[in-house]
Amino acid sequence: MFRPREMKRTVIIGSKNDLEKTIELLHSLEIVHINDYVSDDKEDEVRLGTPMTQASDISQYLLKLRSNAQLLEIDAENPLFSAKMTESQVKKDIDLKIRDIELSVLSLVETRARIEEHLKKIDDRISQLKPFAGIDIPLEKYRGYESIAVFTGYVRDLEKFESELSKITDEFDIFCSNDNEQMVALFISKIFAEKVMKLLPECGYTEVKVPEGKGLPEQSIKKLIISKQELSEKLEQTKNELLEFRKRNAEFILSSEEYLSIQVQKAEAPVRFATTDHSFVIDCWIPSHDLKRVRDVLEREIDGALYIEEFEVKHEENPPTLLENPKPVRRFEFLLDIYSTPNYRDIDPSFVLSLIFPLFFGLMIGDIGYGILLMVFGFIFMKKFKDSEGLSNIGWYIIVAGIFAFIFGLFLFGDMFGLAFQSSTAEGGHTIYSWSSLLGINIPIPSLIHKMEAFGLTQLLVISIIAGSLHLGLGLLFGIVSERKHNPKHAVAKIGLIFVLIALVLIIFVMADWTIGQWLAPLKQSVVAPLLWNYIIPSVKAGIYFGDLLIPYITIICGALGTVIILLSTGGFGLVEVLEITSHLISYTRLAAICVAKGAMAFAFNVIGIGLIVSGNIVLGIVGVILTVLMQLIVFALGSLSAGIQAIRLHYVEFFMKFYKGEGVKFTPFKYVRKYTTNE
Amino acid sequence: MVEDIVAGIIAIGAGIAIGSAAFATAWAQKTIGAAAVGAAAENDKMFGRGLVYMVIPETIVLFGLVIAFMLIQKM
Repeated sequence: MFRPREMKRTVIIGSKNDLEKTIELLHSLEIVHINDYVSDDKEDEVRLGTPMTQASDISQYLLKLRSNAQLLEIDAENPLFSAKMTESQVKKDIDLKIRDIELSVLSLVETRARIEEHLKKIDDRISQLKPFAGIDIPLEKYRGYESIAVFTGYVRDLEKFESELSKITDEFDIFCSNDNEQMVALFISKIFAEKVMKLLPECGYTEVKVPEGKGLPEQSIKKLIISKQELSEKLEQTKNELLEFRKRNAEFILSSEEYLSIQVQKAEAPVRFATTDHSFVIDCWIPSHDLKRVRDVLEREIDGALYIEEFEVKHEENPPTLLENPKPVRRFEFLLDIYSTPNYRDIDPSFVLSLIFPLFFGLMIGDIGYGILLMVFGFIFMKKFKDSEGLSNIGWYIIVAGIFAFIFGLFLFGDMFGLAFQSSTAEGGHTIYSWSSLLGINIPIPSLIHKMEAFGLTQLLVISIIAGSLHLGLGLLFGIVSERKHNPKHAVAKIGLIFVLIALVLIIFVMADWTIGQWLAPLKQSVVAPLLWNYIIPSVKAGIYFGDLLIPYITIICGALGTVIILLSTGGFGLVEVLEITSHLISYTRLAAICVAKGAMAFAFNVIGIGLIVSGNIVLGIVGVILTVLMQLIVFALGSLSAGIQAIRLHYVEFFMKFYKGEGVKFTPFKYVRKYTTNE
Repeated sequence: MVEDIVAGIIAIGAGIAIGSAAFATAWAQKTIGAAAVGAAAENDKMFGRGLVYMVIPETIVLFGLVIAFMLIQKM
């Protein structure tokens, strides 16, 4: 759980006659990560393999199928069926079926395109004819005069035009459109054409060209509309046929696409192998755990004709990473991949991440109401995006974080939607709302920590520092474990850092003396009391005063010891890490900061909203309810977003930097993730 | 009277501490964020890295917070 699976580098050598069967077997085993062979010019005998002969045929079928699927707009995310086909069902007459589909799709799509083109032409013609529809002159009468000029178009200022025109001559005929548009057809002797042309722009003239053709425009339009209706019906019919066709064939298209993709994958696999004239060499990584099974299957099926040898991992090699975690934890591996895929020698922090990420998140939100909202929201998110791995994982994180926020809200903060269940007993004077005072019943959920009080903030800061020191300490321990073999110096330096960390935490403990004293008070009656008050506390508190600040002797000893260890192991440069760990420790105060900031925001909004609700005025009350809901949603959204980012940041920056290297290669087994077909 | 002035000056000091720290953080994040988005646009894998670089300066504002908190305690 804390280490990636152990890998063995395996070389499989065999005769080319067995190549196809070997590929088939490796593909069905689904546990072999193939290393691509990089051709080396020096070796003439060994070359890159070539794809199998059937590869190009299959690729062509696949291409056809995919283009048809695209034409049919088949949605791979939303298949219309659920039953899986077996491979033999798909394989049967696959070439005939694909050809059939191609022909039908082509003819249907062509028909559709033809009709659509025709419809577009009709629309164009109608829009050309439309301006002339109001003038009862057949189209052919606009053309073919020797001595008459014809002007057609819109005239904005018709009155001016007519009066000016009559000043030029009275030998003209003007036809106006009878449907209120200022469309005009002017027939005038060519002698006056020039003058008219000068006059027209002054009256706001826009020319409209007379369309080709004969007959009355209005009648033509009527005819066109009728044929347009007919064509639209036809188009609808073709579209329905396509839909029907898609429904009938989607299953086959998707499953045969998958089948062919698998075939192509297998047929092109030799490109990743080294080959000679008669043999092939497969260089691959196999988990040690599965090696025996792979070996058994290969030897049994190919009758011992293969030579298989495995090697231990060498220092300079970088094997692929295959993490092994139970399902709820596996979802958190996604967060590792966003940062950087862990490398083979890294410690797998998924388990720690799956616990501490929601814990931090929950501490920052710490509210029953938001906790429930988060759970509901996360559940909806997961259901909605169940097809996308990343998004459904995020939904899962939200749910787990919601559970923790709920627990913290119930047991630590005792509040819901930023409102405590019980009124604060601390001094303050002014009235603060609480669920008990609002509802008039006593809800026995105490607030152990009040976010809105100075003492509460101190407590939260101390909790943050404790959480941070444990988290950083764990990170350093991981670092020691993972570096102890190949970088012992760094491992030793990390031991020094742990001492420095202890020294720092002790100073802060002494500074927060009073707060911690309050927490320890209940222990006064228990059996550990003498041990605590007689030995541990006095020994921590013994120290030198610098002004008001007490530096315990233990801090001085641990700090000096740690610094010396670091200096001896990594030299002066290692001291930078002392500064770094100090800033990292302070960085955890963000837990308290976000918690209080979010609490304060919710508190302020509640004071505004609830003040309105209890004001007694109905209108104000309704406004108050709406405002409160809106503002609560804002707090919820902002709070969850910042809590999520900060919780993950504490892992990425503070925690991972102590041990995590990343930049690994993901274990990608030679297989195909089937969705629509089965192997049987 | 004098105590009020002292308290006021402490409060102003605390405000300056967190305000200037927040400003510094914002400035640093502005530059890093712009570069990180650019890198992520070219290569999706940089998103996680970019996020990490982007949030590193946030610690600065927390230094301000801690100092401000310690000052307020003295009021």
